[in-house]
Amino acid sequence: MPTKNILNYSYYPGCSLHASAKEYDESTKGLFKTLRIGLKEVPNWFCCGATPAHNVDELLSLSLCAKNLSLADNEEGDLAVACAACFSRLKTAQHRLADNDVKRKQVEVAIDGAVPLEKPVKHLLEILAKDYGLDRLADAVKKPLNGLKVATYYGCLLTRPPDVPELDCCEAPTIMENVIAATGAEPVAWSHRLECCGANFTLSRPGVVLNLSNAILASAKRAGADCIMVACPLCHGNLDIRQKEIEEANGTRYGMPVFYMTQLLGLAVGVPATKLGLESMIVNPLPLLKEKNLL
Amino acid sequence: MSRIGVFVCHCGENISRTVDVERVAAEIGKLPGVALATDYKYMCSDPGQGLLKKAIAEHRLDGIVVAACSPRMHEKTFRNAARAAGLNPFLCEMANIREHCSWVHEDREEATTKAIDIVRLMVERVKKDKALQPITVPITKRALVIGGGIAGIQAALDIADCGHQVLLVEREPSIGGHMAQLSETFPTLDCSQCIMTPKMVDVANHPNIKLHTYAEIENVDGYIGNFQVTIRRKARSVDMDKCTGCGVCMAKCPQKKIRSKFDCGLGTRPAIYVPFPQAVPNTPVIDRENCTYFKSGKCGVCAKVCGPGAIDYDQQDELITEPVGAIVVATGFELYTINEKPKGSSIKGYGEFGHGTIPDVIDGMTFERLASASGPTGGKILRPSDGKEPKQVVFVQCVGSRAREKGISYCSKVCCMYTAKHTMLYKHKVHDGQAYVFFMDARTPGKSYDEFWRRAVEEEEAVYIRGMVSRLYQKGDKIVVMGSDVLVGVQVEIEADLVVLATAVQPRQGADSLAQKLGISYDTYNFYSEAHAKLKPVECATAGIYLAGTCQGPKDIPDTVSQASAAAAKVMTLFSRDQLEREPIVARVNERNCVACFSCKKVCPYGAVEEKEIRDRQGNLIRVVAYVNPGVCGGCGTCQATCPSKSVELDGYTDEQVMAMIEAL
Repeated sequence: MPTKNILNYSYYPGCSLHASAKEYDESTKGLFKTLRIGLKEVPNWFCCGATPAHNVDELLSLSLCAKNLSLADNEEGDLAVACAACFSRLKTAQHRLADNDVKRKQVEVAIDGAVPLEKPVKHLLEILAKDYGLDRLADAVKKPLNGLKVATYYGCLLTRPPDVPELDCCEAPTIMENVIAATGAEPVAWSHRLECCGANFTLSRPGVVLNLSNAILASAKRAGADCIMVACPLCHGNLDIRQKEIEEANGTRYGMPVFYMTQLLGLAVGVPATKLGLESMIVNPLPLLKEKNLL
Repeated sequence: MSRIGVFVCHCGENISRTVDVERVAAEIGKLPGVALATDYKYMCSDPGQGLLKKAIAEHRLDGIVVAACSPRMHEKTFRNAARAAGLNPFLCEMANIREHCSWVHEDREEATTKAIDIVRLMVERVKKDKALQPITVPITKRALVIGGGIAGIQAALDIADCGHQVLLVEREPSIGGHMAQLSETFPTLDCSQCIMTPKMVDVANHPNIKLHTYAEIENVDGYIGNFQVTIRRKARSVDMDKCTGCGVCMAKCPQKKIRSKFDCGLGTRPAIYVPFPQAVPNTPVIDRENCTYFKSGKCGVCAKVCGPGAIDYDQQDELITEPVGAIVVATGFELYTINEKPKGSSIKGYGEFGHGTIPDVIDGMTFERLASASGPTGGKILRPSDGKEPKQVVFVQCVGSRAREKGISYCSKVCCMYTAKHTMLYKHKVHDGQAYVFFMDARTPGKSYDEFWRRAVEEEEAVYIRGMVSRLYQKGDKIVVMGSDVLVGVQVEIEADLVVLATAVQPRQGADSLAQKLGISYDTYNFYSEAHAKLKPVECATAGIYLAGTCQGPKDIPDTVSQASAAAAKVMTLFSRDQLEREPIVARVNERNCVACFSCKKVCPYGAVEEKEIRDRQGNLIRVVAYVNPGVCGGCGTCQATCPSKSVELDGYTDEQVMAMIEAL
């Protein structure tokens, strides 16, 4: 077993990764351990406020994120974030408070401390593609995902709004494609990688989600993808958990497994399949993985 | 003892709202040497000027301070008034208590105190002002026009018709510019080439116009009336005197697959080429980057087939220097591309439109070439990817324009009209086709413009959808256009065969470096700045340089032609005089004190400092001193600040004056 880590981060999993997206958490830990990237969970972290907070009260939303950032600031290493929504909220808080002194002072009172505006907040993709590096990632691959056609799905929040996440070009990113291509898999060119899946309308107006997510699944299918790769628990929920419902509503059949990126990468670098949470996916990925000799 | 008159202006309420002008006048009136201090509502008005003139005579004033707006606004007005009353105009100064005081302060008490200070300084300065006489310089009655598009052509023809010599310099191998590329023009749908090419021929045949095509401005020296311009004539590899324009070389050139820039990459041209058949001059150039002979030393077919032996592979770039008295800048525009832009560019490109990777997504100029009878498809609307006739065409307006998040906030002004025109041209050629237009606003201010737009909508059946396009993607052989219809409040998806983007009008690349050579100012987008947005729309702040056409801002053909003729009129006004009066605010060297270190020469931005030899009567050299050429001096005062022996001073801004002002504080 490797003994010394190459890189070390503090880690903000976010609520989903402790609940509906446990497999994202599990596979992230498995992947990073194998790559010898240390992840230390931020003690006492709590909810970033997600969509509800900033829809209701901006100050609350900013304060929740600011407090989490200040907790993370006590820890060593840049802050690694898995969930696209948490990532977006934390980055937005930094961005918004950096150019609004009035808001920042209010938040400082609310959290009883300074806001770490400069604390590097990094999505897992950024860590893998930039800090760890694509070459090193390719070297770590033990079981190349050759022949697997992957539709890389960014969703809304990973790259937008412009100038906030600073992850990649906001309307034509390539970071997901680059990361998955490092494993030997083949990213397909497809049209809907940046379209909205319906997000949290999944609870209030599921009809919207059935429509929007259907367009995404159809586009992936049209492009010849075997599966979809996501980096957001909400996107995953809409595309995976609701897939059967989408099929029924639209009279179609996709059978399209939706992986977290860490599941596919974990598989490639040799994390045992049993430690990737594959069994908790609704659309069963095992037939596809068997067919491609990846199990 | 001086007899200074001080006139404090209310400027309506602009000054008196924040500054207690009566108190300013009262306080200044107490100063020694001030014979009269008074206030008036509008000093610049006719009665205001009359007041000033009358006071000069009645109070025998020997200096004037007008406490009002910026000297940029009205110094000339009041100096002329002083002159009319018999006072040397350079004994009249302005104290700026508007821009520098009332407009920027709110507290009346503090603003009044500051205004008194400002006026007091100027009183001390005027006391030490000297009567100056204007400098006269000769004018070279010969104009340079930079850019051979419709703006440059119009300006050149107007000036030349007036009997003055014109040098017309064009970067491309032919004049004609963008207008030569257009198919038909709004709002009359007359053929662009039909109205353009006769003008191009007029330029070529005009006895007063000397045309330099395939040439660029290398350097500009001098000042109004007396510029020295260095022009780089790029090596054409064809002797212009020998070439007859027969075209055999172009027909025989084996390298024929080069994308034609004139046809927006739709057609091809040989390595030796004229950009289009009606080119002026009709002399080809060899594109050395793509010519087999220049790349490998083999071939030479053009030289073999050329009857008059005009091909000259050894031709070199040539630098020529020409004196001119005035310059018209007419360098035109280029279109925004949606491609990925280099890092650090404030322009972002359109990733959501595929960054220019979808072949059937084209810009407006490319559509012009498709629709043009002289274009690569002979005027048939055929899409670039497979040459099929598109049955559904989506036009998208405001691509890049009015999009701050993409780096440009201004309106490109011509796209609403040319998109309406495109829908008509399309409908005229593809009767069963359908045109859709996504638009923010339809802006049609112009004679017969709105009627034209309504014709596109009401008679030619273009479907206008108010809303923006969020994404374009290829789906099979269709392009899916995802957008919104904000009037109905729904999202729209159209499967189009061809998408035409009305991309923003931008200044030419390199517009900034030309501006630096000319010493003219430009805005954040590199559009050249006029001296005054309303009252001096064709003049640059730099004297003797005038603007025409889209280099100054987006505009259509009628506006461009009007501005070009206006610029020509300004040049002719200048040339109507034999000598030019210049402000005598120039540096003067005290030759007795000068130690000839020439620090001034090193720092002078105008190159005005020369070395002057002082000789005795026998002609023996006694010493060398610095000499400032008053015709070249720009009056910046850098030499004065630099001179270690305090031997050079700027008239009107002498050390004595500046010190007196500081002491008065």
